[in-house]
Amino acid sequence: MANHSASHPAHVQHHFVDSDQQFESAKMGMWVFLVNEILFFGGLFCAYIVFRAWYPELFTQAALELNKLWGGVNTIVLIGSSLTVAMAIRSAQKNQIKGLRINLLITIALACVFMVIKYFEYEHKLHLGIAPGSFWNPTPEILEELSHPKANIFFGIYYMMTGVHGLHVLVGIGLMIWLYIRAGKGHFSSEYYTPVEITGLYWHLVDLIWIFLFPLLYLIE
Amino acid sequence: MSEHNHEHHVATAKQLWLIGGGLFVLTILTVVVSNLGLPSPFDIISALVIAFGKAYLVAAFFMGLYWDTKFNSLLLIGALVFFILMVTVTLLDTMYRQDVVPSF
Amino acid sequence: MAAAQSKNMTTLQVKRFKPSENPTNTYLTDEKGVWAWMTTVDHKKIGLMYLVAVAFFFALAGFLAIALRTELWTPAKTFIEADTYNQLFTLHGAMMVFFVLVPSIPAALGNFVLPMQLGAKDVAFPRLNLASFYIYVIGAVFTFISLANNGFDTGWTFYTPYSSDTNSLGVIWVTLGVFILGFSSILTGTNFITTIHKLRAPGITWDKLPLNIWALYATSVIQVLATPVLAITILLLSMENILDIGIFDPAKGGDPVLYQHFFWFYSHPAVYIMIVPGFGIISEVITTFSKKHIFGYWAIALSSLAIAFIGFLVWGHHMFTSGQSAVATTVFSFLTFLVGIPTGIKILNWVATLYKGSIEMKTPMLYVFIFLFLFTIGGFTGIMLGALSVDIHLHDTYYVVAHFHYVMMGGTLMALLAGLHYWWPKMTGKMYNETLGKISAVLIFIGFNMTFLPQFVMGAQGMPRRYYNYIDQFQPFHQTSTIGSYILGAAFLIILYYLVRSLFGGEKASANPWNSRGLEWQATSPPDFHNFDHTPVVINGPYDYHKPMEEFQLGLAVEHNGHGHGEHHEVKTDQTEKA
Ligand code: HEM
Ligand SMILES: [Cu+2]
Repeated sequence: MANHSASHPAHVQHHFVDSDQQFESAKMGMWVFLVNEILFFGGLFCAYIVFRAWYPELFTQAALELNKLWGGVNTIVLIGSSLTVAMAIRSAQKNQIKGLRINLLITIALACVFMVIKYFEYEHKLHLGIAPGSFWNPTPEILEELSHPKANIFFGIYYMMTGVHGLHVLVGIGLMIWLYIRAGKGHFSSEYYTPVEITGLYWHLVDLIWIFLFPLLYLIE
Repeated sequence: MSEHNHEHHVATAKQLWLIGGGLFVLTILTVVVSNLGLPSPFDIISALVIAFGKAYLVAAFFMGLYWDTKFNSLLLIGALVFFILMVTVTLLDTMYRQDVVPSF
Repeated sequence: MAAAQSKNMTTLQVKRFKPSENPTNTYLTDEKGVWAWMTTVDHKKIGLMYLVAVAFFFALAGFLAIALRTELWTPAKTFIEADTYNQLFTLHGAMMVFFVLVPSIPAALGNFVLPMQLGAKDVAFPRLNLASFYIYVIGAVFTFISLANNGFDTGWTFYTPYSSDTNSLGVIWVTLGVFILGFSSILTGTNFITTIHKLRAPGITWDKLPLNIWALYATSVIQVLATPVLAITILLLSMENILDIGIFDPAKGGDPVLYQHFFWFYSHPAVYIMIVPGFGIISEVITTFSKKHIFGYWAIALSSLAIAFIGFLVWGHHMFTSGQSAVATTVFSFLTFLVGIPTGIKILNWVATLYKGSIEMKTPMLYVFIFLFLFTIGGFTGIMLGALSVDIHLHDTYYVVAHFHYVMMGGTLMALLAGLHYWWPKMTGKMYNETLGKISAVLIFIGFNMTFLPQFVMGAQGMPRRYYNYIDQFQPFHQTSTIGSYILGAAFLIILYYLVRSLFGGEKASANPWNSRGLEWQATSPPDFHNFDHTPVVINGPYDYHKPMEEFQLGLAVEHNGHGHGEHHEVKTDQTEKA
């Protein structure tokens, strides 16, 4: 920092006037990117809505194969991780780097828990032959419950939605590890925590998507 | 620093925990409501109302839109508007087909 | 020196910075070597790299077009097999749309001029900008891998069930390629929106934005809202191929028309991704070469946004015969007519700008006139296709082919050529050969109309598109069209020749050869690495040709920390000096 003027500290890239402009730009850029994300998932939600409107009985029937309890637990886990990310940002803003790192760690752990539960859910279904597309091969007992001729489509949508969402969680874990390492190197302070802020925004969006996926997939009576 | 350097809003820990708690309660609530077995449109409506409530809490407080420039909120709302346009206009076809194509 | 006052009445101390005619240090001399180019984050260099890539794909896809036209010389086989023919037109269409037209103006020319027109040093996220270029390259690589694996012959629209039943590896690779490519477009859009909001130089308020910026803004909005839907559609299609998940494929219980909805939700707005930046260029060039204030600034600026919005509501006009519901068809037809309104507003305002201007017929201006002529025909025929009953007859005929070539080639490509010639001196520091420029423009005009006018006629008479064979009665039309395409090819070779030659032997360009009032022209030619070596300050609109040039060359007299401070341009100095 020594060779920079006070108003142009090291973390400010040359094409910005000051830290504030850089921060606001990064944040706005992230929001624009989240617009992308919403429409990206929007396509899947649209497919969901179209098919649900066509075959309401299919959705009621197929949702029974999903485990409300684990879906609910995962919702809580993800909400918890959103809370810890928000706390991480708060720590950064208050220049508490240790708090920042701890909160990031908890977030990573919660995200992993989410993925592990997801893994067991998938595992269970695949075991019963409730697999996507050409792997669709339910056991006879399951076929009795899933008598609807288009049951495979529900699960096509289910696997796409949760799969793409899961990929986002994995990306989030990667980002959070990167933040954790950088925080350890002392890159962040109350003056500069832009990457933490915008990764946080991303993470909350992943949470937001799940907030809708949960009732739409699991909670159909 | 320029006089423009408005301070970033720092939420208090209490605020954040409160929001987290609220989300927690709403999650339980949505499961409970779904177990009531409400008749057809109301089950979806109640689930969505709760989901939007949760989404509002996350967007406004965790993501900080409540304190942020209005433009970022506009971006979020804009995305939703275009999503809704996409769905409604598509439904205009799929709900009014003479013969639902998938059945041939 | 002069004093400039911004809205909130704080005073900036400014002085005149006349661009040097003999810049010693420019962005081209700054860093040298292949590696420096490949890792650069400079928006100008990235723009040039995009330009080269786009030109490469244009040449490739153009070459395919010539082959296709040659095949159509006779009603039966001329020199290639039917299957090859199917692959070639698919490749031609897909490349022209995804690799040429979509990135051409925003990512190549836009990247170069957008920060300069804003008086910024760079785009908001320079590294993302470079990433977007490489993502584009990776998308291209996937497409080539697809070619090595049977290729694809589904048409550029990848309609299911055809694209999910042929089950070719080629389709999987190319759809993944398009999926990846989409991200390059998304990143460009995200970058531009943020840059326009946050990095404007002092004094550039929303009412002083060049119309090119307004156009790029509208384009970016479409890119951000529509491209992700393409991404998910194409991803679903890939999964349909890889896993057979059955959302679109009727054999698996899915709905192929749903695919068309998804596809056109992107692809209709995408045609505006292609044309709207062209509108921006037209506004810049037409004012510069009429030496006149634009007629109807706000009408042109806001009609871009209106087009962007309405463009999202008309996609079903591609599906009138698909079996979509009668309600949807009627609504889509009605909404399609609405698009004509903002488009017409633009055309009329441009023509009004010409009125009583002192028009200088340089090559870029020639292209603007060609644009006005061809695009208007393209737009009108679009409205005709939007009419439900007419479209039932014309759908999937050469009439549609002619329509979209008139708008895409006659519109977007002509605007691109106008912009390329217009900014060429700025980008390279060299003048191109004006005579050859005009000759090739005229040749393009002749060749273009010869190629595509007959297609309207045979389309109306029932010649279907994408056919390898045809009945004898259409042969004269096809042959005229083929000859036209050769003329077009020759014209493009001439352009390539004189542009490349200008790089090496061309006359040196002055900083502002067209006497434009645009901010990008107040930098040296070619510009400095940081575009300007001062912070530009803008007090006039970009088209105020009635004001003296000095007033367009202002910059902060006291440099404090840098450039571009879009949203908050009040500066604390209160010493005022009189001119
Ligand atoms: C006044 C504005 C326009 C209107 C009303 C319009 C209308 C239409 C309609 C109704 C069709 C469908 C024809 C059919 O398949 O039966 C069509 C096709 C097409 N239009 Fe336009 N159009 C307009 C402008 C544009 C522009 C500006 C572009 C591109 C720059 C464009 C590109 C295309 C393409 C590529 C197709 C064919 C897609 C395909 O099936 O392969 N259009 N247009
Ligand atoms: Cu269209």
